[in-house]
Amino acid sequence: MKDWLTRAGMVCLGLIVLVALASVVNLAGDPDEIVGPRLAPPGPGYWLGTDNLGRSMLPRIMEGIATTLLLSSVAVLVTAALSAVLGIVAGYRGGVVNELIMRLVEVLYSFPAIVLAILVAAVFGPGQLAALASIVLVTIPLMTRLVRAAAVGVAQRDYVTAAIISGARLPRILGRHLLPNVAGTIAVQVTYALSVGIAVEGGLSFLGFGVQPPQASLGVLIQQGTTYMTAAPWMITGPGVVFVVAVLAINVVGDGLRDRFEPRQARSLV
Amino acid sequence: MRLALWWLGRAVSAAATLLGVSILIFAAVRMMPGGFAETILGPFATADQKAELADRYGLDQSVFVQYGHWLAAVARGDFGVSMISREPVVSELWARLPVTGQLTLFSVLIATLVGVPLGVLTAVRARRAAVGRLLSGLGVSVPEFVLGSLVVFLFSRYALGLPAGGYDNVRSLVLPSLVLSFFAISITARTTRDAVMGVLVEPYVTAAVARGESPWFIIRHHVLRNAAIPVVTLLATITAYLLGGALIVEYVFNLPGIGSYVVQAVGRRDYAVVQAGVLLAATVFIVLNLLVDLVVGLIDPRLGVTSKGRRA
Repeated sequence: MKDWLTRAGMVCLGLIVLVALASVVNLAGDPDEIVGPRLAPPGPGYWLGTDNLGRSMLPRIMEGIATTLLLSSVAVLVTAALSAVLGIVAGYRGGVVNELIMRLVEVLYSFPAIVLAILVAAVFGPGQLAALASIVLVTIPLMTRLVRAAAVGVAQRDYVTAAIISGARLPRILGRHLLPNVAGTIAVQVTYALSVGIAVEGGLSFLGFGVQPPQASLGVLIQQGTTYMTAAPWMITGPGVVFVVAVLAINVVGDGLRDRFEPRQARSLV
Repeated sequence: MRLALWWLGRAVSAAATLLGVSILIFAAVRMMPGGFAETILGPFATADQKAELADRYGLDQSVFVQYGHWLAAVARGDFGVSMISREPVVSELWARLPVTGQLTLFSVLIATLVGVPLGVLTAVRARRAAVGRLLSGLGVSVPEFVLGSLVVFLFSRYALGLPAGGYDNVRSLVLPSLVLSFFAISITARTTRDAVMGVLVEPYVTAAVARGESPWFIIRHHVLRNAAIPVVTLLATITAYLLGGALIVEYVFNLPGIGSYVVQAVGRRDYAVVQAGVLLAATVFIVLNLLVDLVVGLIDPRLGVTSKGRRA
């Protein structure tokens, strides 16, 4: 990939994943340990300051990244699996099956993301499960639609007809002939869905219906940060910057992937 | 004639989606902890009230009959009673509609007036594509709750002349609208940019360039009209984004709108309000999409003649 922006996005994303891995082994300390005075500005022992309970912000931010990233990744993988099946089946079979699946998708698509997330939180009760289910339900419609659109095109290719004539069974046709050819679409959409997932987790946890304290997630940290913004601006700066960089990096990588899988021409008029 | 048929098809499809939405919400309310009677009446309902409710919604009958009763009540505008205020949910929502409506409307206006020119500009100056991508990416990546909190902090701490929090008059909506539209501006700019870039590679633009027409003439006469459809379609999607975003912005700025009310309701387990709020948001989205379809049908004559309906 030649453009510097996509490469920068990939580097950022790699760093974020590394930080998340580092937090698993408590590289920067225990996120729940009280290390200093409350709301202390950055200093030795707590490089990014402390929060309202005297916990060091650095390991908390690292834990937050890990929680948010893990939650969003798992949810997006679930979405990818479901969307791949639904989209390919709908695109290949058409008819009533297609109509049913697309109608279901249309219904989910009718809810603004955070509104759907709130409904889910009301059903499951606040917590990680609600956040996970919300991300899945919010990201499924778009991915299923696009996978289906790609599958419709592939289903009419000659090699699919040839496979049918040679007596291949349905699972083999879908798995061997359709799936590999819509994989690019899925890859691009997984990237975008990941950024949506992080945003949904953030929003839901910010409202208090997602990840529950004392566990840290980016949304939880930002929510706590806004409460103490006047007294301790470092509490929101770190998580806020990480959140923005993460979403930005993922979107930029997604754009890069899209340009690679679905190249577009560009013309400069001026 | 064909156009009218196509519109009718869209309307039927929208109605079917709305029905699906109602089934989903009905199922969700049934799955909420505490059961339907508690959900609607609250935990302190008397046996008489429960009996009355069971009679009205047919709680002793099959789930399909129950759904029918529920749907009939909802269609009459009967969403039950808020368990906190004991007022009908409808009048509670109605009282909060102006704030949410104005907030969303202002944000759509700002997003269109800023986002469309920005999108055209970044598409036409494709050489600076990376800068445009970074800027629009930044707009999408800064969540409302971070930007909103920052604005509240700055304006409340340094007395910058605009109210940041609470609601007195329209002035109270200036900052929330700006925060809310920030996200929408980048989406609008992005979509406009993609649409314009798609048109710019069309042969008729090449022909126009070859004829020596000036860039801005080409944009006005060839590009904008042909790029308009995805942008108009976007407006419905944008409004859905904004309805969701309004919920968080109202919460951050402490505005007495529908969004912050629904957020409170989830926290207080006031499920009758949650149910009505969610249904309202989905309905607005579906109706808006239908309206946009009608407008697109008018703009794009090709739509009337294809048998498949919406173009891919």
